[in-house]
Amino acid sequence: MKKKNSLRAYLFLAPFLVFFVLATAYPLVYGIILSFFGQRGAKMWFVGANNYAAVVADPQFWSGFGIPAFLLFVQIPLMLLLGIFIALLFERIKRSAFYRLIFYLPYALPGVIAGILWSYMFSKSMSPFVPLLKAMGVAQPDFITNPNLPWILLVIILWEWTGYTALVLYSTLVSIPPEYAEAAQIDGATRFQIALHIKVPMLKNTLFLLLIFNSIGALQVFNEPRMLGGLITLPPNFTPAMYIYNEAFSYGAFTFAIAMGLVLAAVIFVISFLFMKGSVKELDVHA
Amino acid sequence: MRKLSRTIPPHLWAIALAIFFLLPVYWLLQSTTKDNGQLIQGTFLPGDPNHFVNSNLTEVASFNNGVMLQWLANSTLYAAVGSVVSTFFCAMAGFAFRRYIFVGRRFLFLLILGFSLVPGFTLTLPLFIEFKDLHLLDTMWAVIIPSCVNVFGVYMMVVYWNQVPDEMFDAAVIDGAGETAMFFRIGLPGVRPGLITLLIIAFVGIWNNYFLPLVMLSDATKFPLILGITTINSLQGFPIYNLRIMGAFLTALPLLVIFAVLQRFLAPQLTGAIK
Repeated sequence: MKKKNSLRAYLFLAPFLVFFVLATAYPLVYGIILSFFGQRGAKMWFVGANNYAAVVADPQFWSGFGIPAFLLFVQIPLMLLLGIFIALLFERIKRSAFYRLIFYLPYALPGVIAGILWSYMFSKSMSPFVPLLKAMGVAQPDFITNPNLPWILLVIILWEWTGYTALVLYSTLVSIPPEYAEAAQIDGATRFQIALHIKVPMLKNTLFLLLIFNSIGALQVFNEPRMLGGLITLPPNFTPAMYIYNEAFSYGAFTFAIAMGLVLAAVIFVISFLFMKGSVKELDVHA
Repeated sequence: MRKLSRTIPPHLWAIALAIFFLLPVYWLLQSTTKDNGQLIQGTFLPGDPNHFVNSNLTEVASFNNGVMLQWLANSTLYAAVGSVVSTFFCAMAGFAFRRYIFVGRRFLFLLILGFSLVPGFTLTLPLFIEFKDLHLLDTMWAVIIPSCVNVFGVYMMVVYWNQVPDEMFDAAVIDGAGETAMFFRIGLPGVRPGLITLLIIAFVGIWNNYFLPLVMLSDATKFPLILGITTINSLQGFPIYNLRIMGAFLTALPLLVIFAVLQRFLAPQLTGAIK
């Protein structure tokens, strides 16, 4: 039984709420207010919705979505397919714990480190692949070129998240009662048919959640491309997050950058709304 | 896929993938044994002679009067303070949601859940201006204060508290325990696995946070390691690769240790999916 006691409840909530307001809620409200102001240096003046109009009309902002779109339509589907393949592989290998540990390992490292490692491994100066390719007859292998960047980013993000994805899918797979697959096997279904028609449909919800999480991640991608930026000059609007950062800190257009940040947050919020609807259920477990 | 998986045994697939996943980690480890001359040879083999201790570690200690060690200390401070404080606050907030019916309960839960979806950099820019107004910019507080808030942690804590059965609270009431005693003596032990998980996730999250200090700090002696290593340049402005690699190694090492030792607390869930 829960107790009715608002005072006690808020005493327990107070420490969290104080910091929450200071570092999360107030900044958002403040940001929304600031987004209605024009700004040059320290001078600010009210401009209504001009910043938002400028964001919507700014081709630089929208062309920054090229990379998230590439990740959404190429990297994420590829990773989910690979994840399913690896999860099924884990099922077939009797002692897969060792492999699971290794595949999960990249998840332990932050995007900045992943970005540094891969960009160095692909760099002209240090790449261990260059001598190999030269020995195979490629004259001057150069990985980090502008047209290659999306693919390098794809490799980095696949490396970071595929193992995690596979493990999430695997933990769903092992929770499926084995009777389904056994029954199908008796009916003469091949392993491939069982995977395609019985197991993959059971992964539907998990795949959907992974898709949402990864889409949110793709829209915010910043650290990995910023590390690549140490080796090649990137356009300031390479991704939406980089454009926001550069507008604020390279060009000093803070209120415009804040407005862009809020537009991006709105896009992300719409995508995550579906996930939220599921989470509210937790509140009523013991009601 | 069908034909391939039939002709190639599963173990071969697994080994091929394992090589891909291990490659950068292996490359990092073997690179720590090389000086800059050896690094540009671009091999997969450890440096010969081995420069791990003799030039690399000593250079780490001496670079800019030992600023790399300062970064290591800063990262530890930020992550330790932020993770302990935020986790404790989350546990208290979770207890409030589990134990009480109060005015605004549903609204507050939705609000917190909603805020967990607001991207970090949307908040960090106005936070930068707020901290500028409060004269907190370029102080350690500018990193510590936001690190003490773990919005999604509250949601996770609510989930963990929901696993503590009503009977435990009822028994405590019969024993005459007050609410505070109930939180510390019955509640916290009951959610201990959750506490540890949250503590690790928060520690790692702060240790890995690059964007917040990037925005808030300009004084290099206050940088955490993850930001500092991206600024290691020679006087001419060129990256010093062996030191950057050593920095990446020092950043990664505690994470790999945590990962190896505390793995059972870090079962892959969809909850911790934001790096």
